[in-house]
Amino acid sequence: MSIWNSRTISGKLTRINLLMSGTALVLAYISFLAYGLYTLRGNLISSLTAEASIVGENSVTALMFDDRQAAQATLSALQSSPQIQWAAIVRPDGTVFARYVRNASNPPELGAKLAPGQKVGHWQRGQGILLASRIEFQGKPVGEVYLLAATADLARSAIEFGIISAGILLLCFLIALLATSAFRRLLTEPLNSLAETAQAVSRERDYSMRAKTPRSGDELAALVQSFNEMLDQIQERDRALETSRIDLEERVRDRTAELTTANKELEAFTYSVAHDLRGPLQQINNIGFLLEQAEDNFPTMPQTRALIDKLGSGTRRMSMLIEDLLNLSRATSTPLHRTPIDLSSMAEEILAGLQAEDSSRHVAITVEKGARAIADEGLIHVVLENVLRNAWKYTSKTPAAEIGFSYAEESAGPVFSVHDNGAGFNPQYADRLFKPFQRLHSQNEFPGTGIGLATAYRIVTRHGGRIWAKGKVNGGAEFCFTLPYVAEP
Amino acid sequence: MAEPAPLQLSKRRVTRRFPIACLLCALAALMLIPISSRLPAQTRPSQYDVEAAYLLDFGKFTQFSNDSQALRKATFDVCIVGRDPIGPTIDKLAANDTVENRAVRVLRDANASQARTCAIAYFNSHDDDLTRESLNLLAGADVLTVGDSPNFLKDGGMVQFVVETNHVRFAVNLDAVRKTHLVLSSQLLRVALYVEGHPKPEAGP
Repeated sequence: MSIWNSRTISGKLTRINLLMSGTALVLAYISFLAYGLYTLRGNLISSLTAEASIVGENSVTALMFDDRQAAQATLSALQSSPQIQWAAIVRPDGTVFARYVRNASNPPELGAKLAPGQKVGHWQRGQGILLASRIEFQGKPVGEVYLLAATADLARSAIEFGIISAGILLLCFLIALLATSAFRRLLTEPLNSLAETAQAVSRERDYSMRAKTPRSGDELAALVQSFNEMLDQIQERDRALETSRIDLEERVRDRTAELTTANKELEAFTYSVAHDLRGPLQQINNIGFLLEQAEDNFPTMPQTRALIDKLGSGTRRMSMLIEDLLNLSRATSTPLHRTPIDLSSMAEEILAGLQAEDSSRHVAITVEKGARAIADEGLIHVVLENVLRNAWKYTSKTPAAEIGFSYAEESAGPVFSVHDNGAGFNPQYADRLFKPFQRLHSQNEFPGTGIGLATAYRIVTRHGGRIWAKGKVNGGAEFCFTLPYVAEP
Repeated sequence: MAEPAPLQLSKRRVTRRFPIACLLCALAALMLIPISSRLPAQTRPSQYDVEAAYLLDFGKFTQFSNDSQALRKATFDVCIVGRDPIGPTIDKLAANDTVENRAVRVLRDANASQARTCAIAYFNSHDDDLTRESLNLLAGADVLTVGDSPNFLKDGGMVQFVVETNHVRFAVNLDAVRKTHLVLSSQLLRVALYVEGHPKPEAGP
């Protein structure tokens, strides 16, 4: 585990701060302790030296005049120095002249001696310091004084020093923690605010948010300011994008409305034209009928009958065209009323009607039962009628004509198909079949309006289905369509 | 330090019980004396050796007034009045020592008038009359009078040697000192066996 594993910057800062101040303080404590111990030892030695010197001064006459009691009395004064455990005054010849022992259990061992000419010396003796000082009178040595001081006081001082230092250390740690909280205010809080704002912006995609700029005016403030400026720019760009999008939508809506209006006008025009043409056509038809009656009663010229027949066929074609145009118009504008319908029986009915219209023809008809769909009955009738009438028409010149209705269940729904073995068509032009007034055969060859398949295409498309044709010249044709139904929610 | 009293006692008991053996031992000891006398550190100094050494040391702890006749001289004179038992030792010591930054000179067979010019006058105890007479003559003179007669202090002497348990000590008569301009160091007085009289009332610190 690394100490940098904190997830927040403030945590890292706190740790770095504590580590650094802690290290510095521990180092300072160690050096102060070492210095303190060194100084304490030095102080002890110098105070011992002073005491030895005083004892020596006061023992000069005792030594010179061989007064042990006086020397003993001098040494007894050392009782006021609790650190001195043992003391001795020694003659120049090495014999002990007087002795002082603080603790009877303390073994008085000298074990060290001043070198000739040496005035003061000290040695470490286990837990104590042995100090020797030469006693001189008028430049001549008259004896030596030995003092053994326990360094227990030294150790106690070291412990006291350590306790004080530990207290200071604790205080410093507290100050370091306070400094960290100041750090937090100065550095981490602006950073946190920046990070939170950045996260909120990215989460909510709200570019109107702004990070709080710290008053410090440092790099952090500059960073926050740049971030806010960046948000400004993004917001400006967003606004421009939004404006252009709204503009575009408006234009699309306008165009759509224009187009819808145009389409509606066109459809209304087509419908009214077709509808209004019916009246005059009926009149022409009626006049043709009257002419035919008159001609039957009062024949005029041999050509008249032929002319009246032409007039009749012309009006019939015109009527068919008008009917088809109205169907096309209805296919576009009539609202859809979906109901379950049986396409098989519908096909049978239409084919029966066609057979009845032209009973002279012999066509092999096959209808597969059970083709069902949910669609607008009237419109699907128009689709089937157009497609089956087409097949009827284009098999008129085929000796053994066949027309079939079938369906196939596919994954996306049933595919209905009407096939024949009639004239067929050039597959190159298959896409032109479903466009209005586009015909692949001449009027003389196979008469027609060129509107029926276009109407079927529109109806299937309005149902959300697809219609397509397969075929070849003189090889028959197959028209397929789908009527998918998705239940509205 | 050996304790001399019990040792002497045991000696006495031994001589009473085994006189011949002791005689033989003494003979053997006598034969050994010349050898041991050559080993200087081992022989215990005699009373007079100690007195000789102390005599010079007294001088070191005595403050002589600058007007005193003793300090007008280039040498620090020690006069021996009467018999001289300390002669050889003091000569040896004087040759290697100085007092008051002066070489020590020993004057023997000095009379009282000669002694007045000395710094220290030493009186041996063999002739108490001479001592008493000389002290009377020296009364008031800035001479440190030192003697070993038992009545030396009563006779007006200043420092008297006292042998106590085979140990040479000294006593001081401050009344005698007070009559002169001499000042004895308090350090010296501290190690005195006893001090008679009172110090000078006007004595400064």
